[in-house]
Amino acid sequence: MGLINYNIEKYSPQQLVVIPLVLFIISLVVLAFTIVATGMPVTPGIDFSGGTAVTIITSDSREQLQTTFAGYPLSEISDMNNGKFLKFSSMDDTRYQSLSQLISQKYPDAKIDQIGESFGKSLQSQAALALIFSFIGMAVVIFLTFRTFVPSVAVVFSALADMVMTAAVMNIIGIPLSLGTTAALLMLIGYSVDSDILLTNRVLKRQGKLNDKLTGAFHTGMIMTSTTLAAVAALFAVSWFGSVQILMEISAVLLIGLVADILNTWLTNVGILKWYVQKGGGK
Amino acid sequence: MNQKQLKALVSDWRVAILIILVLLSVIAIFPHVDDQGKIATNLQYGLDLQQGAWIQLEFKGEVIGFTTDEPVETFIANLSKEVDAEVVQIDETHLEIRKFYTREELEPLFETAGGKITSYNQGVSKSTADTVKRILESKINAMGTKDAKVNTLTGFNNVARYIRVELAGVDMRQAQEIVGKQGKFEIRVQTTGNATEHVVSGDSITSVQLPTQEPPGSDKWGVSFTLNEAGATAFQEAAIKYGATTDPTNHYLLMLLDNETVYSAPLSDELAGQLQTQKIRQLFASTGVGKTGSNQATQLEIHLRAGALPVDVTIAGSGGTSAPLGERYKTMAVLAFILALITVGFVVYYRYREPGIVLPMIMINASELVILLGFIALIRFQMDLPTIAGLVAVVGTGIDQLVIITDEILHEGKVPSPNLYLKRLARALGIIVAAAATVLIAMLPLALMDLSTLKGFAIITILGVLVGVIVTRPAYGRIIMQILSR
Repeated sequence: MGLINYNIEKYSPQQLVVIPLVLFIISLVVLAFTIVATGMPVTPGIDFSGGTAVTIITSDSREQLQTTFAGYPLSEISDMNNGKFLKFSSMDDTRYQSLSQLISQKYPDAKIDQIGESFGKSLQSQAALALIFSFIGMAVVIFLTFRTFVPSVAVVFSALADMVMTAAVMNIIGIPLSLGTTAALLMLIGYSVDSDILLTNRVLKRQGKLNDKLTGAFHTGMIMTSTTLAAVAALFAVSWFGSVQILMEISAVLLIGLVADILNTWLTNVGILKWYVQKGGGK
Repeated sequence: MNQKQLKALVSDWRVAILIILVLLSVIAIFPHVDDQGKIATNLQYGLDLQQGAWIQLEFKGEVIGFTTDEPVETFIANLSKEVDAEVVQIDETHLEIRKFYTREELEPLFETAGGKITSYNQGVSKSTADTVKRILESKINAMGTKDAKVNTLTGFNNVARYIRVELAGVDMRQAQEIVGKQGKFEIRVQTTGNATEHVVSGDSITSVQLPTQEPPGSDKWGVSFTLNEAGATAFQEAAIKYGATTDPTNHYLLMLLDNETVYSAPLSDELAGQLQTQKIRQLFASTGVGKTGSNQATQLEIHLRAGALPVDVTIAGSGGTSAPLGERYKTMAVLAFILALITVGFVVYYRYREPGIVLPMIMINASELVILLGFIALIRFQMDLPTIAGLVAVVGTGIDQLVIITDEILHEGKVPSPNLYLKRLARALGIIVAAAATVLIAMLPLALMDLSTLKGFAIITILGVLVGVIVTRPAYGRIIMQILSR
């Protein structure tokens, strides 16, 4: 890649690791604050907290919508390319029935999704379990693949840092944790280790000078991440254009995660690996 | 590449398999122009890519682990009185209560009945959930709705808490009307005066026949239905216990739907006599003569057949997509794939600047997508929006892995000898398998759990990884070798 002149050689392991480490700690603080505020590390969306989400194609203004839905617990209106995305907090059955009647009358083309509070709770605990199992499973695969402690820890830590940073950014820019974004986080667990595996494999299993191997891995790894970024960016652009809320959220989370992954692979993971090899680990 | 080389390439088994799979997939997807002149395929769409509605119902019951010093039957009979609902034994240590109580509310009731609670789970047993599923399905079928799916969501502990109904082609109001109006069916027997006692509930009815005339041609209408073994036993016991067999006219049998009497009649003398000595599984409810009798029989048949759920349910979640939005989402999905392939193409072109490498990459990538779609069409999997995201991610990571192969092989800028080539290809595939294994493991929990829409997404991602590792990457390794050794 001609545009990026990143010279891994120049920096010591400590210098490499310091920036992502600071970001990691800041992210943890953000998550801690969110836990205090909402009880979860990422603000839960209606999939988990219960409520109703409505997508409508309309040119009505916010004010008009607020008057239309004055009798209902409308909690959020977000703009979309040619419509609006509305969120309502939980309401009882009869209230909901009348809301869905009102919507199908006024906006017959709407998409409605309603999740009850207790259903959301059970989805939430299952999603949390899925995340934990996925992460443990990924870690096991990594340890089985490399069978050496420090390099494996480096990969697993990079993946963890990806998740934590992504979650923190989600909180900051207001992407809620929904079924879709949980899926995106899970995808990140799998995909973020791609370039880490490549890097570790090149450094530990190839012959040659460490710096050459790092540079080679960087070239391949960056192109890998850029292709995924390109595909996901295309998805984001299309879903924004077509106002597909769930795809927009998924692709946004993936974009954030892939950027975090670049950082964590080429600073965090490289840093730890470089330190390990210079200490005499590997060959 | 001359013809000879091309022939050698196509006859390589890895490449041959890829080509065959792509062809088979195109057949499975079957793109064609339908009667309305629109382009159609065999692909099935989920409820956010076409008009449809879903409703998730929560069972109002619980599965309790219990211990008791009493004989189990006595205990269950006692408990059934205490909780004023049906109590069904599931296995030696578990029972199901068909009414909602919290654990705290239940504990004193268990104590009075002579038992203890060892575990508490909201929901019903798998068999009860399956019964509800069957009833809902027959109810939906009776309405003539074509495309319907009913799934019970059973947790790890074998307790089903939810049941999900997906109906294509209807809006949410209609769906709620079909599913929401759940009847709870029950047969009761009159004891003294106006008091009645529970006999059996709707799930004891195993089959219901069409309205018939009994005897044939008499214009006396009715519906015959069959009770299961346990139901027949309960029916006989209750009939004897409350005197319906000895004094039918003062002990009517009542059928209730949602606590409203839909049928009430005494036992016929003949049946009363038989019940004294044996249990009877095949029963006939007569509704009267002529047109009225026939109409009532039809009504009763629906009540008996489909109106009945053995346990109460509430709506836990629901949703729907309108036809125009579904159409639009579908268009957007196609756009997303095309745009993703194009942008990815630009990125790899920027890196390699060699159409001889970039074109095969994009072709392989597209073929992977086609194979996946073929598989999706074949298993009649319903694509929804999260699946689309999974497919786009497959495009992105698919290219990733082709990049790994290309770079490993082109290492040090020189095209290697065949021997070295194979060694490097093996090493590249090693990296890819490790990366694929992590994605697979990361998605496995989702594929096994019942997190509504995410299950499909996880299955598709896993499939994508497998197709990539088993079929398309090895084929690409071959193709790129031919091209590079030109």
